[in-house]
Amino acid sequence: MSSPFQVHEATLRNGLRVRVVPSTDTPVVSLYTFFRVGSRNERPGLTGISHLFEHMMFNGAKKYGPNQFDEVLEAHGGRSNAYTSHDLTVYYEEFASEALEQVLDLEADRMRSLTISDRVLAREREVVKEERRLRVDNEVMGLIDEELHALVYQAHPYRWPVIGWMGDIEAIQRVDCEAYFRTYYAPSNAVLWIAGNVEPEATLRRVRRAYGDIPRGPPVPTVVNAEPAQRGERRSVLTHPAQAPGLLVAYRGPAVSSADAVTLDVLEFILAVGEGSRLTKRLVYEEKVAVDVGMDWSWRIDPGLLLFHAELAPEGDPALFEAALYRELARVVEQGVSERELTKAKNNLRAHLLRELTTASGRAHALGSYEAYLGSWRAGLRLGERYARVDAAAVQAVAARYLLPSRRSVVTLRPGASA
Amino acid sequence: MKHAERILPPRTRFTTEGGLGVEVARRGRVPLVSVRLVLQSGAAADPADRLGLADFTVRLMRRGTSRLDADALNEAVEFVGGTLAVFAAEDFVALAVTTPAEHLPGMLDVLAQMVREPTFPQHEFDTERDRTLAQFANDLDDPGLLADRALQRAVWGLHPYGHDVSGNRASLQRLVRDDVVAFHHHRFGPAVSRLVLVGAVDAATVRPVVERAFAGWEGGPTQVAVPPPATQAASEGKVLVVDRPEQTQAQVRLGGLAYRRGESVAFPAQVMNAALGGGFTSRLVREVRVRRGLSYGVGSSFESMRAGGSFSVSSFTKVKTTRALLDVTLGEVARMRERGPTQAEVKKAQEYLAGLFPLRVETNEAVASAIADLWVYSLGPDWVDRYRERVRAVTRAEAAAAAARFCFPRPAAVVLVGPGEALARAAEGLGPVTVVPATEFL
Repeated sequence: MSSPFQVHEATLRNGLRVRVVPSTDTPVVSLYTFFRVGSRNERPGLTGISHLFEHMMFNGAKKYGPNQFDEVLEAHGGRSNAYTSHDLTVYYEEFASEALEQVLDLEADRMRSLTISDRVLAREREVVKEERRLRVDNEVMGLIDEELHALVYQAHPYRWPVIGWMGDIEAIQRVDCEAYFRTYYAPSNAVLWIAGNVEPEATLRRVRRAYGDIPRGPPVPTVVNAEPAQRGERRSVLTHPAQAPGLLVAYRGPAVSSADAVTLDVLEFILAVGEGSRLTKRLVYEEKVAVDVGMDWSWRIDPGLLLFHAELAPEGDPALFEAALYRELARVVEQGVSERELTKAKNNLRAHLLRELTTASGRAHALGSYEAYLGSWRAGLRLGERYARVDAAAVQAVAARYLLPSRRSVVTLRPGASA
Repeated sequence: MKHAERILPPRTRFTTEGGLGVEVARRGRVPLVSVRLVLQSGAAADPADRLGLADFTVRLMRRGTSRLDADALNEAVEFVGGTLAVFAAEDFVALAVTTPAEHLPGMLDVLAQMVREPTFPQHEFDTERDRTLAQFANDLDDPGLLADRALQRAVWGLHPYGHDVSGNRASLQRLVRDDVVAFHHHRFGPAVSRLVLVGAVDAATVRPVVERAFAGWEGGPTQVAVPPPATQAASEGKVLVVDRPEQTQAQVRLGGLAYRRGESVAFPAQVMNAALGGGFTSRLVREVRVRRGLSYGVGSSFESMRAGGSFSVSSFTKVKTTRALLDVTLGEVARMRERGPTQAEVKKAQEYLAGLFPLRVETNEAVASAIADLWVYSLGPDWVDRYRERVRAVTRAEAAAAAARFCFPRPAAVVLVGPGEALARAAEGLGPVTVVPATEFL
């Protein structure tokens, strides 16, 4: 794909990588800071610290005190937010161009000298517990997903939820946060993406001025993937007051660095993207064993999951759904996919790549994510070519490699009173 | 007078021979086009015993035309990398397509078929109804959604805006295919619809393509009914508790009536709201989350429609702290009502709203939606372009007047979702309490 924009890059002496993507579509700038840390870098007893720490980042540093981050940003016509995943923690701000210098000052301030107090930690702990109650404890799919990860992963940190176990959220101490900050929030573990209405050279100068004095951090500890081989299907059954049975089916997949990752993207589009995709057409409209069905193959740094989720009717039967799903998956393994399906998937992947690059924010986020997962943003821009080279035989081969009963874990939820 | 800045791209307008108004805006460098066909008749026009009819009809329109069955239609859109979404709101229904530019003619043809010659096959009707009924049941497991639905009913009651656009179990069970056919026949027509195209599209080139696709689409209704205004929130001063005994967290909503879409009080109201519960530094966030750690999220917002609007506050907290949350939020809303925002808050809110506004119309889809809204709500051509100017012109006195008018000058309708007994106790003194089972909202 030819690039409709330019990326200017630099690496500061302290290791901070900076990428600037200028455009003039709107008078707005998006600033993303990618830290290469997520729940993957945690250990039992400290699960959820990455996400809890994300909350701590909004509570003041040396120059700008508590709550000043958003006060200053909003007063300049901006907004901020952040998210934590298994692999990454990402902060972003969108604001009017003239506020760039101010926002860089805010971001650099918290990277240089974040304040971590017991009082703020105690309060954010309560906020995060409320978030956990919202997303997991009182959310049927949240419960199933949490159970599934604990079933699939025995040794790898993907075992626990990004938000962490409730007991760990309660136990995390200030010293844990301080050590975490020193190790993972150093400039050497971060990449800055700035996209929008900016002048690249002046922007790089401003970044050097704002961040140049922050010391490089220690080497980040390696994450050991000690996950043992799976030796057969695993199953778990939950009981919870719910209207309908629920289920998640997962197959162990590869890491994003595997050549299979993009082939699985193509398979995902063929199976489950769009009303006319195989699974929706067959399971929802023809066999009617589910009200809705979807697949999630998300890139992860370490081996991830091919996840199938379904919404069943209250009278629905998870066993019937499973049987129908496995028949469809076996059909790909045994008979492969048609040339037309393959072309359709590629057309949609191409449109998807175009769409995510249409806004300044989209460009910063997409290119930053590509750099984090593929090692370089240029590799992201070459995705179109990689998809184009995937053939039907390759799709059939990855289906045969990963969609095996022995790689499968299944969680079902049975409606009923909790124990 | 200085010229308004330009937020929306310039549009070319024309009307097809059949009477369909079309607006075309060329913008951006990406070879994609966003197409939106809106019909100025939505869920508010649902017959009282057929709630959900507009939404159901528009969803069924993609399940077959006289030339394409559902599979062929999906294939036509999805094979080339296009997308199709259909949905209903209170005042309109919309069919939204995105497509690579080179496939625009084909997509317009599919779109025209859907509105002109849907076949509504009986078996597709049955499947879609069963899916919707299952969805209603499963929605009961979503406490936030349940709270939103309960608030809508508490604020609007039997008013046409008082029901969820998708209807309910009883109304869907009554629905037959003839209702859908009749709805399409009586409500759809070029005179009450508008087609908007935004992106890599040229008006002169696309005009004959539109004419061809929509050739012969004429006649039909020439005007739409506007719901009557509402004068009082249906459950004002009352507490509705939706019982979900297993929940460890309570969903909390407060609501009252506000302004209709297009009223100029929108600008001071939005400024006031940004200070009260709009941004992350608003009073509600500061008092509920930052100072007290009571919730992960809290906010206030206005919703405005053709015949009226509402103002609401939304949050959640563990069951034990429900009353604390209610007291803090009601107290903050009252303080804003009585004294209005400070001058500094007004200034910050203006910068915040004006600064972020360009982001609300950044994509082709958002621009198409904004252009369609101008028409649906008769907003006047410069509503969007002058938005920032009008926000910046708001005075503290105007914002304070908006607060006095909308921040529950009459007691709010209160909705709580969670364990009924505990929540009824938490709401003591706030008004008469009614506890209903979640199945009330099937």
